Order: sequence, then structure tokens, then C-alpha cells
Amino acid sequence: MKKYRDKIKLANVLLDALYELKTAKLQYIQGKLENFSFKCSEVTKSSNIFNVAVNKGWFKSTEKIRSRVSRNLCDFTYHLNQFKDIINSNETKPLKLSGIFADLNQIEQEFGELKFNLKAKTISVITDSIELDGISLGPFEIRLFIDQMSKLYSDTPYKAIALEPNPAATDDNVTHPHVSSEKVCEGDGQIAIRRAIEQGRLCDFFTMVVNILQTYNPDSPYVSLDDWEGISCYDCGYTVAGDECYYCENCEHDYCSQCSTYCQICDTTICLGCSFECPDCEQPVCQHCTAVCAECEETVCKNCINEEGLCHQCQEKRKEQENEEKKEEAEKPKANATVQSDSVGEAIVHA
Amino acid sequence: MRILYINNDGAGYADYVQIAENTTVEQFFTIKMNDCDSVDYLIRVNRQPVTRDYVLRDGDRVTITPRKIEGAVC
Repeated sequence: MKKYRDKIKLANVLLDALYELKTAKLQYIQGKLENFSFKCSEVTKSSNIFNVAVNKGWFKSTEKIRSRVSRNLCDFTYHLNQFKDIINSNETKPLKLSGIFADLNQIEQEFGELKFNLKAKTISVITDSIELDGISLGPFEIRLFIDQMSKLYSDTPYKAIALEPNPAATDDNVTHPHVSSEKVCEGDGQIAIRRAIEQGRLCDFFTMVVNILQTYNPDSPYVSLDDWEGISCYDCGYTVAGDECYYCENCEHDYCSQCSTYCQICDTTICLGCSFECPDCEQPVCQHCTAVCAECEETVCKNCINEEGLCHQCQEKRKEQENEEKKEEAEKPKANATVQSDSVGEAIVHA
Repeated sequence: MRILYINNDGAGYADYVQIAENTTVEQFFTIKMNDCDSVDYLIRVNRQPVTRDYVLRDGDRVTITPRKIEGAVC
């Protein structure tokens, strides 16, 4: 008997919240209407200025106005569509306590149990354990906050709480491909869910949310089920999403961005362990892009070795040697010249 | 006769519609949902599950809800 009484109380609380929501909707329509009127008045203003500009032959101004109107048209279409969406929603019949009560009974019938808290003003159902593409996500509690129903047009008045969470490896807040921080992204169901709440069809609302949770849309998930478990970096063990991991072609393992790099010569992705830092240019390269210096036998990258197979250091050494040799050679004829000059000094003096 | 038809597919629809006498749930579904397969939908009449040959009566409330609704990223 108490439960029956509580259910009637709940139906009353819901009815009040739905009337509040109705007022909120009218205020929302009013806001959209004002927005739309403002956009219309802007067009009228532009039209008047344009008219003046045309009559005065101010062609530069007409071009500016034309361009502004053209830009505003996109904005205008957006506001028009939003306005159409809200103004077209039809009202079926006035809300009745009996209708809401019948819906509460239907929820019990469909979901087995209806949980509600009159103090906290919440109503919730619990889903069966959800499994998508072989990944178990556990059961979810869909909790509707009656107090927040009037915020339907600016916020989501309900949450999908994972009761046995198995979140995505890359983000603990994502407990379902379409749930982040307990908020469901309704996708195709958004408008129908709003309509159901507006019209007090709570069983339809819960059914649709459950059906979203039981469906996987691979085109638009927060985290793809393919990457749900994530990939562990072979080096540091950090779990990364599939599209954020790097495959080392040398050792054939997956790495995170911190533990991988790429060859500066051939662009091949390599892990830090397989990369080689050239002692000359200090750039990482893969093993295929290294070479041994013909002189000092040190390994360097291919960019730092010349056609003769010498590294920079050996090239410089050789240059120095060559310079010295040249210097020596250059000094020899200089010495001759000095002797010559001396001989010049000892020039023959004619008697 | 007139029934309340609630379609939770797409943009959602809830309004009274006129139907012929002796229309079954299956016929009604075919008329309203064209190429859709009834297996993909949850159909309730007066909040109760019914068989496909249930004959609709004046004032009935028919609800059609898709079993699969694709969510997204917000």
C-alpha cells in the first residue's frame, strides 16, 4: 500500500516537473522567436541601407552590404531550422496524472523494477548487462533527475551510470562507446527522446535510452570497440588507443609516442631501442640508414658520410692533412724565392 | 476510427490518426512503416505487447519504438 501511495506521490512530482518543463519550453520558444525576429530585423536593416546605397550609386557600399547579407544567410538558415524544429513539435493531449501513473506501471512491467527516490527526486531503471561486439560493459542504471527536467533544452536531465564499469582503456570516463562522464550521446534518438520526456512518456524515454545502450554505432563512438581494451606499449607498458600507437618495423612491436621515433632519412617508424643516434648529427635513424666510416670505422648515418665513405670528422681530418700538405708544398717555393732574392741582392756588378 | 499513434523512430511522432475498421497491428505497421521490418521494432498497444493479428479498436494507443538506435559522440 505504501509503495502504491509513493507511486502516486511520484506521479504528482513528475506532473509538476512536466508543467515546469512546458513553461521552460515556452520560454525556449520565446527565446528562439526573439532570436529569429532579430535576424529578420537585421535583414530589413540591410535592405534599407542597400536601397540607399543603390540610389546614391555607392557601389563599394552595395558590395559590402551584399557580402554581409550573403554571410548572414547561412546564420539565418541555421536559426530558421532551429526555430522550425521547436515550433513544429506537436502536442497530443494535456498531461494527466493517470497517464503518468500508467507509464510508471508500464516501466515496472517492461524493466522489472522501477527505482525512485522522492527526496532526491530521481527515478531510474536498471538495464540487463550490456555486451557489444563481445565486450561486456555491464549493466547500467538510467537515472532521470526530475528536478532537472526543465533544463531539457540546455542540458541532459538523466545519466547512464555503469554499475559494473568496464571503461575504455584510454579513458575512464567512457563507460560505453556512446557514454562519456555518464552522459549519453543520443545521436539518432535525440529528438524522439526529448519528445518522449516533454509528453511525459517516461517508459518510451527509458526504452529508447536502453536501446541506444544496446546498439553500437561504429561510425561515431567516443572510443571504438576495436580500441576498447587499448594497446600496451611494448617498452613502458602504457596503454594507448589503436590510432595512437606506433609499430616498429624493425622489432615488430607496438609502442607509445614517447617510446617511438622515426628515421630522419627514410621516415620509417622505429622504437627508441631500434633507433640509432648518429654521433655526428645526433639525429635518430634506422639501422638501414647507417654506414661505417672507411677510415675510423665508426658507425654514422648515411647523411653524414661522403662519397669516399668518410664521416665528417675523418673528412675534416683529411682536409686538415691536405691543407697542411698544401701549406708545406706552398712553403717550399717560398724558400726558393728567398734564396733568389738573396741572389738578386748579390747581383752581378759590372766592373 | 481514431487511434493515438506514437512513433519513436527518427524525429518522433505522436498524434491521433484515422484508420479503417478491423485493421490489424500488422497491417497498421505496414501502412505506417513501409519497408521496415517489424522485428526491428517494439510494438505496444495500450502499453501492452500484442500479437500481430490484434485488431485495433477506436481509442487504442499504439507505440512503435526501434530496437536499435544509433548513438554518437556529443
